[in-house]
Amino acid sequence: MATTYRRKPTKAEIRRQRMEELVTYPLDWLEERSGLIGGVRYFLFRNVPADINWMQTLGSAALTAFLVQAITGVILAMYYVPSAATDPHTGNPVAWESIVHITDDLTLGWLVRGMHRWGASVFIILMFLHMGRVFLFGAYKYPRELNWIVGVLILVMGMMEGFTGYLLPWDQTAYWATVVGINLNGTAPFLGPWLAQFLRGGQEIGGETLTRFYSLHMLVIPGAIIGLITLHLYLVIRLGVTSPPWSKEAAGMEPEEEEPARLRPGLTRPVPRPSGASAMQAEPGGQE
Amino acid sequence: MAAIPKEKPSRIDELRAEFARYKADVKERGKPFYPYAMFHDTIMSLVVVCTIIGLAVIWKWSAWGPDHDPLHKGLLGAEVAAPADPGTTSFVPRPDWYFYFLFYLLRIFKWPESVFLGTVGVPTIALMLLIGLPFLDRRRARRPSARPVAMVAAVLTIVSMAVLTWKGATAKEALASEVKQNIPRWIKDEQLPPAARPGVQLFATAGCTACHTYDGAGGANLGAPDLTDIGTRNLGIDFQIKHLQCPSCVNPGSPMPPFASLGDERLKQLAIFLEASKGTH
Ligand code: HEC
Repeated sequence: MATTYRRKPTKAEIRRQRMEELVTYPLDWLEERSGLIGGVRYFLFRNVPADINWMQTLGSAALTAFLVQAITGVILAMYYVPSAATDPHTGNPVAWESIVHITDDLTLGWLVRGMHRWGASVFIILMFLHMGRVFLFGAYKYPRELNWIVGVLILVMGMMEGFTGYLLPWDQTAYWATVVGINLNGTAPFLGPWLAQFLRGGQEIGGETLTRFYSLHMLVIPGAIIGLITLHLYLVIRLGVTSPPWSKEAAGMEPEEEEPARLRPGLTRPVPRPSGASAMQAEPGGQE
Repeated sequence: MAAIPKEKPSRIDELRAEFARYKADVKERGKPFYPYAMFHDTIMSLVVVCTIIGLAVIWKWSAWGPDHDPLHKGLLGAEVAAPADPGTTSFVPRPDWYFYFLFYLLRIFKWPESVFLGTVGVPTIALMLLIGLPFLDRRRARRPSARPVAMVAAVLTIVSMAVLTWKGATAKEALASEVKQNIPRWIKDEQLPPAARPGVQLFATAGCTACHTYDGAGGANLGAPDLTDIGTRNLGIDFQIKHLQCPSCVNPGSPMPPFASLGDERLKQLAIFLEASKGTH
């Protein structure tokens, strides 16, 4: 920006301008080459209905819970060993030992694992609550049908994360719940037996099942969830969020004037009279 | 009537007009996402993170116990259960809480006629309905008071999910230690011959009663049949052993886990016990 000075700029003013340029130059550089700054600016300063309410924070709350899962998950992956082999020194499975090691020996390991474990439940609960809010607001209706479907898919993927993650500690609860869970998948017609076989990675649940679940749990399903969340947010920003339907000034509410004139008694307000001969024959209000 | 020459606008035209109005209203009367909505979102996110940390703290510090035992059960469960052991079967198959409703659903349906409904039928239909919701409910109305059918359906769904989850959570777990106390009564009621005695012990401790009921004890899970009079069906020792080794090989689609790891000797004892159970009571 060309600033015109009446007098010669002081040293302080020149320094200030240099500092400003230091910040704006890289931003301008990025904007010119990517348009990203404009995108972020649009995201931040786009208008939302003035009457949105607290219930509408549940979606971003669920996103926060997902981010907690992602971050704690990455840390856990640095220490967890997905092996069902037996440790020759202790006689315990390696995966189980690594979980105990994370929880009891690592500095703050218990916190990271605890947050991951309980964050999973919080994530699921928040997704259900968010879904309930969308239902209550009728926000799944035109033009947001597609985003409802994307949301349901995220919920299903989230539950699959729960199912695959449950096995990883490789303890009795995990093992036997998964045995039964996989057997239940196997009862489905057509694809069932194939799916059970795929999940097990063989005839029996063992080391192969564990690595398979680990890969699904930390690569495949989270990848899908991140893709779906991106799509979900894109649609939210493109279509906007709804006003609470009971709000007096809900955005998009039908303006009173658009009620068909014939339904109005014409007592409290003058009936707008179209010109022309037919207007003269218009029946007095209040009748069909 | 001459006064209304215009046709009623079609549904999609109305919807489009409404959305155009929405866009215009938001532009005109809305407020910027930052800082207003973002402020609320940030507070809520902080609450979420604090809740998660709180749960982690309660979990660890109530489970750690005075003797630093990772298997000690705290307020929110133990840090970890005993290591997975395909050979030991004194277990209670129990999923994470958000699968409890499914888990309990499986108690309602009985093998083999309707268990399929519980494992696949009901969940698939529920998922279809959920995904299809925007296409099933095509009315424009958004106010809850103008959507009585949707609201009643939602309340019924929530109540039934809650009840199923609750039932699943409080379902009686057939602990091996408690089931064992029934052995003397079983032997008397069923007039089990001495040859069947080792089998009874196994049956009570190997986890069978997590799914099967027997003479009034145990939990009915996954549609597993009551075994009090299994012997009257004369399936035969060989069949029983084969079934225990690999249930889904002889009864296709069976969700019962294989017990081959118990070993031939013990499977035979179990089979003898099962065949001796004639329901004479
Ligand atoms: C995870 C739940 C579960 C456990 C644990 C379980 N079963 Fe079953 N069982 C089932 C189900 C479901 C069926 C019905 C499907 C079938 O016949 O395989 C069944 C069927 C049976 C049958 C009837 C087979 C037939 O053809 O009618 C017998 C006998 C039996 N189980 C014995 C046992 C014994 C003995 C144990 C313990 C070693 C045991 N079950 C453990 C779920 C279980």
